[in-house]
Amino acid sequence: MATITRPLPGSLPVTVPHPRLNEYLRWSVDHKIIGVQYMVTALFFFLFGGTLAMLIRWELLTPTLDLMADGSAYNSLFTMHATFMIFLWIIPVLAGFGNFLVPLMLGAKDMAFPWLNAFAFWLIPPAGVLLILGYFAGQAEAGWTSYPPLSTLFSGDGQTLWALAIHLLGLSSILGAINFIVTVKNMRPEGMGYFQMPLFVWAIVATSIIIVMATPFLTGGLTLLLLDRVAGTQFFNPAGGGDVLLWQNVFWFYSHPAVYIMVLPAFGIISEVLSVHSRKPIFGYRAIALSSMAIALVGFTVWAHHMFTSLTPELRIPFMITSMIIAVPTGIKVFSWLGTIWGGKIRFTSAMLFALGFLSMFVIGGISGVMLAAVPFDIHTHDTYFVVSHLHFVLYGGSVFGIYAGFYHWYPKITGRLMNERAGKIHFFLTYVGFFFTFFPQHIVGMLGMPRRVAVYAPEFQSWNVIISIAAFVLGISTFVFLVNAVMSLSRGRISGANPWRALTLEWATTSPPPAHNFIGDPVPFKNPYGYGTQASHAYLEAIDQRYGVSAMPNTDVTTPAPTSKLTSGD
Amino acid sequence: MNPSNTNRSGSSVNIVWIVVGGFAIILGGVLLSTLTPLLLPTEGSAEAQQVDALFRFMLAIGGAIFLLVNGVLAYSIIRFRARANDYSDGPPIQGNTTLEFVWTLIPAIIVTVVTIYAYSVWVNIRSVKENEQLVNVTGQRFAWSFTYNITESELSALGLSPEVTTDERVTSRFAEGGSVPFNYPQLHTWVGQPVHVELQTQDVNHAFWIPGMRIKQDLLAGRVTDIRFTPIEPGVYRIVCAELCGSGHGDMAGRVDELGNLTGAWLVVHPDEETFLREFYSPEAGTTVATLVEEDPVVIGRQLLISGTYPCAGCHVLDDLSWSSVIGPNLNNIGNRAATRVAGLSAEEYIHNSIRHPADYVVGGYSNLMPQFNPEPDQPNYMPEEHLDAIVAYLLTQQEG
Repeated sequence: MATITRPLPGSLPVTVPHPRLNEYLRWSVDHKIIGVQYMVTALFFFLFGGTLAMLIRWELLTPTLDLMADGSAYNSLFTMHATFMIFLWIIPVLAGFGNFLVPLMLGAKDMAFPWLNAFAFWLIPPAGVLLILGYFAGQAEAGWTSYPPLSTLFSGDGQTLWALAIHLLGLSSILGAINFIVTVKNMRPEGMGYFQMPLFVWAIVATSIIIVMATPFLTGGLTLLLLDRVAGTQFFNPAGGGDVLLWQNVFWFYSHPAVYIMVLPAFGIISEVLSVHSRKPIFGYRAIALSSMAIALVGFTVWAHHMFTSLTPELRIPFMITSMIIAVPTGIKVFSWLGTIWGGKIRFTSAMLFALGFLSMFVIGGISGVMLAAVPFDIHTHDTYFVVSHLHFVLYGGSVFGIYAGFYHWYPKITGRLMNERAGKIHFFLTYVGFFFTFFPQHIVGMLGMPRRVAVYAPEFQSWNVIISIAAFVLGISTFVFLVNAVMSLSRGRISGANPWRALTLEWATTSPPPAHNFIGDPVPFKNPYGYGTQASHAYLEAIDQRYGVSAMPNTDVTTPAPTSKLTSGD
Repeated sequence: MNPSNTNRSGSSVNIVWIVVGGFAIILGGVLLSTLTPLLLPTEGSAEAQQVDALFRFMLAIGGAIFLLVNGVLAYSIIRFRARANDYSDGPPIQGNTTLEFVWTLIPAIIVTVVTIYAYSVWVNIRSVKENEQLVNVTGQRFAWSFTYNITESELSALGLSPEVTTDERVTSRFAEGGSVPFNYPQLHTWVGQPVHVELQTQDVNHAFWIPGMRIKQDLLAGRVTDIRFTPIEPGVYRIVCAELCGSGHGDMAGRVDELGNLTGAWLVVHPDEETFLREFYSPEAGTTVATLVEEDPVVIGRQLLISGTYPCAGCHVLDDLSWSSVIGPNLNNIGNRAATRVAGLSAEEYIHNSIRHPADYVVGGYSNLMPQFNPEPDQPNYMPEEHLDAIVAYLLTQQEG
């Protein structure tokens, strides 16, 4: 299938040498290499965390403890699963997308602080090793939420290693976020105001503001936790004048905004992918951009809804109100995305399928989120499988579907080749079906009475759990379809050319992969990164073709280049 | 074809479609919400009825939104897919202020209504009822215990002999504090009786959850928390720990053994007060009051172990008290085995020494993990001699047959 699109007369595809493999294995200050380092490292940890998830589902096939040696072993399984997925998969892989894309989308040569950028990345591998060592050696088993006194007076040395590793990851995250904010503030090209930036960049800015404001609370809390564990302080020990709720407040003051750290960049990816692959401008650009900021700010006022069964009852209602309010900006985004595809010319590329899958599944996570915000209903479902389901609809149906869409969409920019579309579609359908049947039934078993974080459960829930586990195994297998495709396409994928999707954002106005300093000559940003269907966009794409050669159109079988951006009646 | 074209072709058609579509979506949401009884356990309490009504309302709205989003998505996928060899772009529509205003306003109204409704339910389920039954709940790794308070006015209903109720040791206890506590591994009440539980933990945080009652409250180290409910349906309801508390977290719930007996923590709702008194309260409370006279160490030892004063439940199995943790040796029928463990030691001496000097009596196959319980108040893990004697006396009664 390695059919290369015939170039237009007089416009040969422009290529530059690819970075060599060993450049990815050592210290580099090139944001593109760092971006790939983040992504590949995160994928490795995704596999590790996913393997733990498979073991969890295997254990839960029966209502008794059988796979794991004891309850502690099971507790450390889900503790590590959550920690890897949150801190070493979703957050770093999205940081990888940000690193690779933000300078390109801004027409910049690199990030504002290239050395700091590399340093932030290289904090991650040692933290990951520390966590894995902690898993095999000491067993952190207090859940990723690590509530004292279980995590202080009743846990082993693995808990200390765990806290140290999260501390390092928090530092990495803060350094990366500062770099993004400075880059976006200072390195936009002339003529690109804030409201001409791609929405992915807006999402990264909103995320970075959250990280800079919230992550210090996590690291501060972890410092107190470490002192309680190793220095004999009593910050969280009531017997010594401490307070167990102090940790819960500090932890969730970070960890609720962290949900938006994990999902806002995925929102950004979805905005890009939906617009490009439905060939239509994003609907309500300002509403989407500003709703990211609204989510970032309101997101700081809702943390205690994670404590509806422990917080003083009188304080629960104010947090219910803020948690309800935050549904509104999220709703604006969902409706704007629907407005974007409505009336478009939808191309069912793998990237687009994942973006559409995101829309259909994320809405379930949004609805269950509003239900959980209602205090009386939360009191019943708190710490049950209903919550497990809700969070996976947000972080898998939301973030991970967005990440997959991003991989299919930007893989050609990163590697110069397209991923195999047929395998991409198999990957999508396996993931979509596996995902739905893994997580949707968890709502029901949770409401019926199954708490989370148990290996031993009431026998009446077994049939539900068998369905869930089988679907989870399908979901696990689907990951390998993606990984094999990603590896094989490195050498076998069709050559993509500069702009295979005929997109208007600046990262496509250069070769694939881009040269060392990103652009040959000065990039000229198109004044509206979503101006599809206009005469001006047509002319702009023609100019890109003239400069970098015609790109493949992967979603068709034609070998001649497609006519670009034919105008429609509305113009 | 795009929305602006359709507008031009006639807004009346558009309005008809919006009305028909809107009606279908709302009807779909309402139909989905009728599934509520299948998704939740039996409504065992007055609170459950209100919480379920709130859920049904939210499911109708949420179901309608789900159908709206996925309906629009499915329609777009079919209607707006690019046909073969169509490489054109869609219309350059950048937005529509009216539409954006509407889809900001409507969700804002919806969440406002849900918030007000949820608040009213919250006020109802929080309200203090008259004539509440107060039960103190203690959580420890990994068992629950329930402390009932016998008041002087209840004495006549306990079926005790007149000599007991007039015994000075009994009357003086009531004269001092007004009530005598007794511990039991299950929570008993009856239909229509408002229950007020106060929760305390002996170690880490736990969460006290009765799915059938729709109530849950965390137990927080260093604090007393509380929650209320009023059962409306007789039956047994599983009590579950919902906050991760360690290796035996999943065992800290009501279970059914191979013979079909209830073990672990259950809520038992008797049909009426009379049955409650006859089948549970009078015998158990009567035994406790009688202990004040007889000073029976077996009863006192059992009460001590249920109360969670010592953390034994975290590591041992003992069916009589619904303990299930397998970290340490199994204590079932310990009374049969104790005399044969160490040559020269009687059963009583063996158990006594094992608690005072556990490191010297590690059972094969287990590790030296048990704390040493010391006889002096200034030592760590203080266990007075009279407590130890009572516990030993109770454990010796744990025999087969």
